[in-house]
Amino acid sequence: MRPATRIFIAVAVLLSGAQLFGANFGTSNRVTREFPIDPAGSVWIDNPFGSIDVVGIDGNIVYITADRVVTAPDQASFKEAADGVAMSFEGDTKVRLVRTLLPPTRNARWSVAVNYVLRVPRSINVKIGSKFADHLRVAQINGSVTVNGFAGTLIMEGVIGASAVSMVNGKIIYNYTQRPVSKAQVQAVNADIDIYLPTNSNFDWVANTLNGDILTTFPVHSGRFTGAIFHGVIGTGGPTINTETMMGRILLQARGTDPRQAQSMRVSAPDHQRVPSDVMLQPAKKIQLPFVNGDFTFAASVADVTVGEVRGNARVETGAGEVELGAVFGQCNVTSMGGPLNLGDVMGSLFAHTGAGDILVRAARMGGQLTTDGGLIRVIVAGGPMTLRSGGGDIIVRQASAAMDAETASGDITITGDPAQKTLKVTARTLQGNLILNVSPRFAADIDATILTSDPDVNEMHIDFNGISVRREQVGNKTRIRATGKINGGGERVELYAEEGDIHISAQTITPIRLANPK
Amino acid sequence: MSDCDSMRENMPFLLTESLDPARRELTHKHIETCALCVAEWSAYKETWQILDTLPEVTVPPRVKQRFLAEVQPAPPRDNVVPFRRGRAARWLAQAAAVVIVGSGAFYAGHRAAPPVELKPTPAQVTAIQQATPVAQFYSIAESRVLPAAAISPQIEGRPDIQNVQFSDPSPTNDQIGVAFDITSHVTVTGRPTDKSMVRLLRYVLENEDKESPSRSRAIDWVRSTYSHVGNPDPEITEALANVLRNDQHQGVRINAADTLQSLHSAMTDGTRDALVEALKNDPNPAVRIKAVEALAKLARSGVALDPDMVDTLRKKASQDGENVYVRVKAAEALSSIQPR
Repeated sequence: MRPATRIFIAVAVLLSGAQLFGANFGTSNRVTREFPIDPAGSVWIDNPFGSIDVVGIDGNIVYITADRVVTAPDQASFKEAADGVAMSFEGDTKVRLVRTLLPPTRNARWSVAVNYVLRVPRSINVKIGSKFADHLRVAQINGSVTVNGFAGTLIMEGVIGASAVSMVNGKIIYNYTQRPVSKAQVQAVNADIDIYLPTNSNFDWVANTLNGDILTTFPVHSGRFTGAIFHGVIGTGGPTINTETMMGRILLQARGTDPRQAQSMRVSAPDHQRVPSDVMLQPAKKIQLPFVNGDFTFAASVADVTVGEVRGNARVETGAGEVELGAVFGQCNVTSMGGPLNLGDVMGSLFAHTGAGDILVRAARMGGQLTTDGGLIRVIVAGGPMTLRSGGGDIIVRQASAAMDAETASGDITITGDPAQKTLKVTARTLQGNLILNVSPRFAADIDATILTSDPDVNEMHIDFNGISVRREQVGNKTRIRATGKINGGGERVELYAEEGDIHISAQTITPIRLANPK
Repeated sequence: MSDCDSMRENMPFLLTESLDPARRELTHKHIETCALCVAEWSAYKETWQILDTLPEVTVPPRVKQRFLAEVQPAPPRDNVVPFRRGRAARWLAQAAAVVIVGSGAFYAGHRAAPPVELKPTPAQVTAIQQATPVAQFYSIAESRVLPAAAISPQIEGRPDIQNVQFSDPSPTNDQIGVAFDITSHVTVTGRPTDKSMVRLLRYVLENEDKESPSRSRAIDWVRSTYSHVGNPDPEITEALANVLRNDQHQGVRINAADTLQSLHSAMTDGTRDALVEALKNDPNPAVRIKAVEALAKLARSGVALDPDMVDTLRKKASQDGENVYVRVKAAEALSSIQPR
């Protein structure tokens, strides 16, 4: 044999060996069963992994076919899977329960999927529980249908009875073969909802999505938004089809129409009373821009906004998302119903609010107002007077060069004065937490600091300046510790109030933070 | 002794911050009202500042070793009868110690002088003695009993000793007991992964009964330190989970949840439960945001979330009254969950 041939054979053997070594063991075995059932009975299917097809037929027998597919990397795992996974058929003629039984703790090395096909009398009620499936399909059923799934495509085809379906990930498709006569509740988290209906359908439509659009090819009457929830009437109205998805899109399509002709209920939103949450009617967007030469105005329902530099004024409004603006040369106005705000060097006035989340500002040169319903507020340089409010969370100002008004429901407040300022007006109030004011030793002010505490041995007033008198008095079951006086001859008024916390007025050498001038 | 004399005696201690609060306040008040003492105090401060600017001189190890060898007593031997030194002998010993200290300091101060050159001679190993490792642990305990031999005869600084009690635990022998509370400043150094360090930090995080800025600082520090450690000890995340569960202070809870997010690789079941609990029940939306972000990060990293977590995320995503950002983050977490 020639050497080249020998090498070829050796390589082929080696590769086949490697292939065999890395191969998975897999098997599929089929089980079939038949059970009688009452025409008004129910079939419940609980199958965590695998597809389920339920098809309505005539008669009073439930025909079940189950294919169990086990995949494992080795014989031992394969045996463990084969022994551990079982199918259970329980119940009586009123209720038939079909279940896949898995061991309570599972070896991640093997996987199993049981694919069921059930042919059932049309009139019965169907209930499905699933975790991961390629598809769940219910067809030609006149009874009620309930589906609770996690991931997969759910197809409801020719279902006449009432239905309530809920999925997390995947897609939901409703295909009405005749006009809807029963109500349907369709709920999803990350799934799109597509509903196809006859053109002459009559029903009430409710649609709600945070992130997606609401589209239809039907003419909609009496359309209106209540917050972000759309209500409309199709035809003359009738049973309610309620469609709700968090992050997906909702499409209601009349059979025979082109989905590209579908109109967005959000874009062509009917007249309604304006409310602050109207931003939720805006489509969701994601913005990433290095530079905006001029003003930047943006509004979206759900949005992550990142802009490196705005050479004009910035106005951002979102329902939810993270907002990050690097530098703003003009005024900056950011409103979010929820999500952290990360703002860089703001040269004009700054107004920022979030319904929940932290606010970080590197520099507010002209000062402004920052409010969060819950979250931390951190300002590195406050060049102008600022109002800071948190529904709960710490407030930190690393260098305050102008008047500060800070308040938090629960959290520490730390304000460090600009060493270049001899005096500074400060009003700070925490209803639960400590208050720390760091100033230079030559800082002058009229101090009025109060602690209200239920434990005066724990909460204390620490003031590194002379000229302060401290009084204690009992107020109900609490103690009020009040320190007043002038430091370094007096100056602007410093009003500090802390409940259940300490107050520190600390004299220290502070290194000033210098801001670079914009290019 | 006049007031001024007494106050001037306090000045060195004032400089080293070793006066008790009452005496410190008294001394400060006196200085403010007495012109002579102000001058004296200024002179002290000036000298102190000059001392601060002087370069630090390191004593050569050889000199230090020789000095220590001379001042440390030789171990007692059984066959030696203790010799009780007379007053004169004690004076002599003290004088000798002063001379040795002085010589050491003089040598250290003049080490810039040309070194004595020795002819290099090859080192010879005659015998190797096996070192016996002696584990000496400094136990951080609520109460401790120490033999007098374990206490250094030199008391450093002016420690605050309170609540002193004397006892004679066993009348049959000549042992006595002196009990007291002492507050001292201790610095423990070690690697972040050292078990003792982990335990100490856990104690600090969980047991600080007083709300103080140090709690938030401690959490910030834990985050910056342990987020760079490849495999942080789960005890750290458990301590943070306890803070998240129990702390009344919302700012601290936000910090704890945020830190757990950055230490997701070390999360235990208990830690995840704390995050789920916070997501379900914490009244502060920022805590819920941090909790859901931490769970989303876990889901993205491929960690299997138990059914209760998945259920909580699902409910949160669909909860009408919940903050929209929390709902969006819950939906994002759910979208990352893979079949297991």
